[in-house]
Amino acid sequence: MFKFVALFLITLGAMSCTKTTSDLSVTTASGEKLTLLESETLRINIVSEPPTLDWHRATDTTSNWVNVNMMEGLVEYDFTNKEPKLVPALAEKWESSEKSRKWKFTLRQNVKWSDGQPFTAQNVLDGWQRLLNRETTAEYAYFLFGIKNAKAFNEGKLAFDQVGVKITGPNEISVELERPMSYFPSLLTHASTYPIRIDVVKKFGDAWTQPQNIVTLGPFNLKSWQHDKMIVLERNESYFGPKPTLKYIAAYMLQEQATAINLFDSGKLDSVHQLPSIELRKLRGRKEYREAGSLLLYYYGMNAKKPPMDNLNVRKAIASAIDRQELVTMLAGGQTPLTGWIVPGVIGYDKSVGMPFDAAKAKEYLKAAGYADPSKFPKLEIKFNTNEDHQRIAENVQAQLKRNLGITVELKNEEWKVYLNTLKSDPPELFRFGWLADYPDPDNFMSILASYSENNHVHYNNPKFDALINEAGALEDPAARAKLYLEAQKLVLEQDTAVIPFYAGVTQMLVSDRVENYPINVMWRYQYKNVRLKSAVPKDAVKK
Amino acid sequence: MSGAASLSSRLPSLGRVFGVGILVIGFILIALDLSMQPIEAWMWWLLIGWSTVAFVYAVVRGQMVLYVFKRLLEAVFVVWVIATMTFLLLRFLPGGPFDAEKALPPDIKANIEARYGLNKPIFEQYTTYLRDTAVGDLGESYKYLGRPVSRMIAETLPVSFQLGFYSLLFSFVIGIPLGVFAASKHNSWLDNGLMIFAISGVALPSFIVGPILILIFSFGIPIAAFQGLLPPALWESPIYYLLPVITLGLRPAAIIARMTRSSMLDVIQADFVRTARAKGLSEQVVLYKHVLKNSLIPVLTISGPLIAGVLSGSFIVEIVFGIPGMGKHLVQSVTNRDYPLILGLTLVFSAMLIVANLIVDLLYTVVDPRIKLS
Repeated sequence: MFKFVALFLITLGAMSCTKTTSDLSVTTASGEKLTLLESETLRINIVSEPPTLDWHRATDTTSNWVNVNMMEGLVEYDFTNKEPKLVPALAEKWESSEKSRKWKFTLRQNVKWSDGQPFTAQNVLDGWQRLLNRETTAEYAYFLFGIKNAKAFNEGKLAFDQVGVKITGPNEISVELERPMSYFPSLLTHASTYPIRIDVVKKFGDAWTQPQNIVTLGPFNLKSWQHDKMIVLERNESYFGPKPTLKYIAAYMLQEQATAINLFDSGKLDSVHQLPSIELRKLRGRKEYREAGSLLLYYYGMNAKKPPMDNLNVRKAIASAIDRQELVTMLAGGQTPLTGWIVPGVIGYDKSVGMPFDAAKAKEYLKAAGYADPSKFPKLEIKFNTNEDHQRIAENVQAQLKRNLGITVELKNEEWKVYLNTLKSDPPELFRFGWLADYPDPDNFMSILASYSENNHVHYNNPKFDALINEAGALEDPAARAKLYLEAQKLVLEQDTAVIPFYAGVTQMLVSDRVENYPINVMWRYQYKNVRLKSAVPKDAVKK
Repeated sequence: MSGAASLSSRLPSLGRVFGVGILVIGFILIALDLSMQPIEAWMWWLLIGWSTVAFVYAVVRGQMVLYVFKRLLEAVFVVWVIATMTFLLLRFLPGGPFDAEKALPPDIKANIEARYGLNKPIFEQYTTYLRDTAVGDLGESYKYLGRPVSRMIAETLPVSFQLGFYSLLFSFVIGIPLGVFAASKHNSWLDNGLMIFAISGVALPSFIVGPILILIFSFGIPIAAFQGLLPPALWESPIYYLLPVITLGLRPAAIIARMTRSSMLDVIQADFVRTARAKGLSEQVVLYKHVLKNSLIPVLTISGPLIAGVLSGSFIVEIVFGIPGMGKHLVQSVTNRDYPLILGLTLVFSAMLIVANLIVDLLYTVVDPRIKLS
């Protein structure tokens, strides 16, 4: 018996003596052995396996996390100021005509793909054609439906040469839209609109995203992709912009944030995103903690077709009975309380719009709705998808409605896909939902509530609202747009009270002291081309 | 006649050759794996081939051909029932694979569903699925675009297998001696102490044991000398295996220890043990050679369920320690409604369980020749 125990202890001792270095060794698919020196490798956690690195078919944040480091679009963001600004990337400049119904993009010259081929206007057109092509089955094909005849091409009714995009000069692309869209260049920051080497896709089929096949032109190239484990990106020596100082990016796929924090604390990771909300109070005190607002809108929707929500005064009573500040304080994550539909950092954000918290007024609304005695209020349920945070928020709302209105509501959670199905087939009286913007433009938020939107789960239908947001979408002057969006928000929030905005989300992360210029912005867009590393992990950074 | 007799008298030693062969090849593979040497495909084939020959030999020798044939037929039927049930349950589950937070325009969604044949009548989908599965084509994942399910399983199964195998090895290596030891010190404080430890091992779930072990051996809480002794996560080399293997293996080890102890206590009172002691054999020999061998049947019986427990429990351990195995797909594929992946994983898991149970049943006859299977 003791022999066994002794043997076990000796093995344990021997194993712990084998030195674990901080440098990583990775074997690529082609058998090449790489040593990723800690001093020139940024080690991050992208949380899960990217469903695909095909930027035309990717729809999730993980895939885009990798894609925005391998590729560039025609247009890019500058996050130095509070409101993200558009800056040139593959397009040197652009201009609009006919009140932003027609656009002309002049492309940068001397850009090379990672296989040495020059980047051309045709690559851009090929990319858009592929995105829109029915056979690609790209979920984000609708991103370019604003282009003339693009939807008809996607439906297979027209040929691509009928679509409103043309090469009009050696480095020039002209775009004609269905209707004026002042925010059209914003769309071109999105990975689904990136150019492509269609010859590579044709040659390798689905396998074109494998490290040995893929051809890109961004600051980093895909070097290795070990599924469910790690992606390694290597600096692109022929990148057209300032060369990154990082040699490698090692992206782990650790689902459990506690695990990632453990590795961060033992000096094996340089950043951890999406911190567990329950530990935020503790983590906020750390010097590596960073946070920034995000373009995430968290709201409660109401089904105005179902009693008691078909009563406008009931909707107003509930909307004014919820103190968003109390909610945000409970969450302790640095979220911004919201009464309006547009989040901070985007044109049209207005603190004054919407139904603010007012317990006295809420009671009046309830009385006006015919419920002078709150105990007569019918049974009401809050529905949300199973998740710790949604649960905490729903419990808080439940307590507030009890305290401020005297009504009792019940909570009901459903598994995510079941929940999505419920929202689509039979939207509950009161339910939670969120929206993470694809681009920082008010249209991306407002058009959710358009009568024709697939994402309009409250089935809000007000022709005046539709007309207002379409008019605003065509304008170029920010002040004039903001005015129209304010009017539209008043309609949906104050006059019709179809939804109750709760807060604008926040991104929290831990970033090691050895990292400089770590990107943190409202768009969850983590491009590492400007990141610099101090030589190694500082000794005192390794926590007990 | 005499030739046949001498052949049959030589046969048992052939069985021993097969058994020892499996052990030797197994040990070599483990040694290679633990010393981070590459294991070539032919070595796996050697092990599989050798085991198959040994298996066939044992079956023929034990006159169990009919029995095994029957069991295999049953297995095919069970797998078919499981595949059908899973297929149907998935279609009745609300929410489809392409329902997303950002709802798609109906035409785009319909087009994607058509790509995967989801627009066809359910019976046609079912027959297509059965036909493809029968020829080993498990389809492509809906979530991980362009990745065949069979390749995903081939990439992640070895890691899960490694974790499960070492955990089981750990649980037998720790559990059996502890059980023997406790039984030999019956009713002493050592026995009581070990059994309290074993009961805690059974009661503690791995999502508690894992983080506690990480705190102790990676972050040195409360013993500062242990800080940085073992890595808190990942699956890079044997030193990374220790914590997850212990976490996953603790529960089965405790179960085995308790089982071994109680079974030993039954056997220890048998007449042949008194005889062995009267012959003047040392206590070690009595315990390990006579008592233990006769106590193994109940332990063997629970090995089947234990394998199932280790396989299904690996999900949490894989997540806590960031191990790139198959476990997390088992849960996530359902959340994603990734039909081909769910179906593929279910089939692989059920096949593994069926085979494990069959082997355990056959091992009965090896441990106790009185048992006849038919």
